[in-house]
Amino acid sequence: MVTFKIARFDSDKDKEPRFQTYEVPDEKEMSVLEALFYIVENLDGSLAFRYSCRGAVCGSCAMRINGQNRLACQTLIKKLGSTTITISPLPHLPVQKDLMVDMESFFAKYEKIKPYLINNDPIPDKEFKQSFKERAEIDEMINCILCGNCYSACTMAATNSDYLGPAALTKAYRFYADSRDTAKAERLRIIDGEDGAFRCHTLFNCAEVCPKNIVPTYSIQKLKGAACFK
Amino acid sequence: MKFGKLKEESVIAYQSGVGMWAFLLHRITGLALIFYLLMHIFVISRALNGAQTFDKLLAVLTSKPFILADLALLAAILFHGLNGIRIILFDTGVGIRQQKAIFWFMMAPAVIIWFVTAYITIPYLF
Repeated sequence: MVTFKIARFDSDKDKEPRFQTYEVPDEKEMSVLEALFYIVENLDGSLAFRYSCRGAVCGSCAMRINGQNRLACQTLIKKLGSTTITISPLPHLPVQKDLMVDMESFFAKYEKIKPYLINNDPIPDKEFKQSFKERAEIDEMINCILCGNCYSACTMAATNSDYLGPAALTKAYRFYADSRDTAKAERLRIIDGEDGAFRCHTLFNCAEVCPKNIVPTYSIQKLKGAACFK
Repeated sequence: MKFGKLKEESVIAYQSGVGMWAFLLHRITGLALIFYLLMHIFVISRALNGAQTFDKLLAVLTSKPFILADLALLAAILFHGLNGIRIILFDTGVGIRQQKAIFWFMMAPAVIIWFVTAYITIPYLF
């Protein structure tokens, strides 16, 4: 048996989140998300959490598991190496219910950096070409699934509500470094300034928690350099 | 809609990776060194009061508690300086993916220099 200590919060009943304990039978290769399914099906149907793909692709099930932001679907119970597992919602974000947090600020900042390709050149006959080398530079950033783990773990984002945060800046660099994108000056203007890339103090909390092993600091530092010499 | 907020949320206690602690210590040692610099300028300016009074002051500053304080000062300088080089490397785009290795690479000479200095200093303490 594995003991789950899960943060519960219902805005109608609770003033602040409280912890509730559940016992879940330990099965081989069981993920934390499967344990949450077990709780909902057999123990407490009122537990609320987000999930969708169950395969670390959608980024919905980001939560704080044993003190670290992780994806519940990607985290195997046996890999955690403890018989008590504490789960709470992503820190520094407003809790809506139980393990669900309000991601409004996260996606508002994501929208700010214009997360789409801008190319005003005449449309070529077939496609905008990109060499393997040009694509390799942005390979890592494309892997970002917008789970919010890094944003929630970032001390700078937690202490400054205007800071764009690691995820948005990683995506900003993904388009800035894209050889097909022509809005480079505009992108640098968006990420410039003290609430943009320069708020990052290279703490690497974002890199510690990324389920895709992205190092957002790399993108942010590249943006800082580009913004300095523009 | 009413939102909840977890009680134990703190801005430093997430993952305790070396980057977080390096940042925190860098800030603390930075403030300590600014404080030291101001004190240092003040102490040196006492020389304006004549050689004899300054000699008396120097006798106090070479006493045992101040030798211990000097060792703490050396630790702060070594950490802040060497971690500062690490941060400059990141700003020039070097070694961002090897940040943990670079941290320990920088701390190794710091630890060696500090212990050698402490070894030399110990006789003055007894």
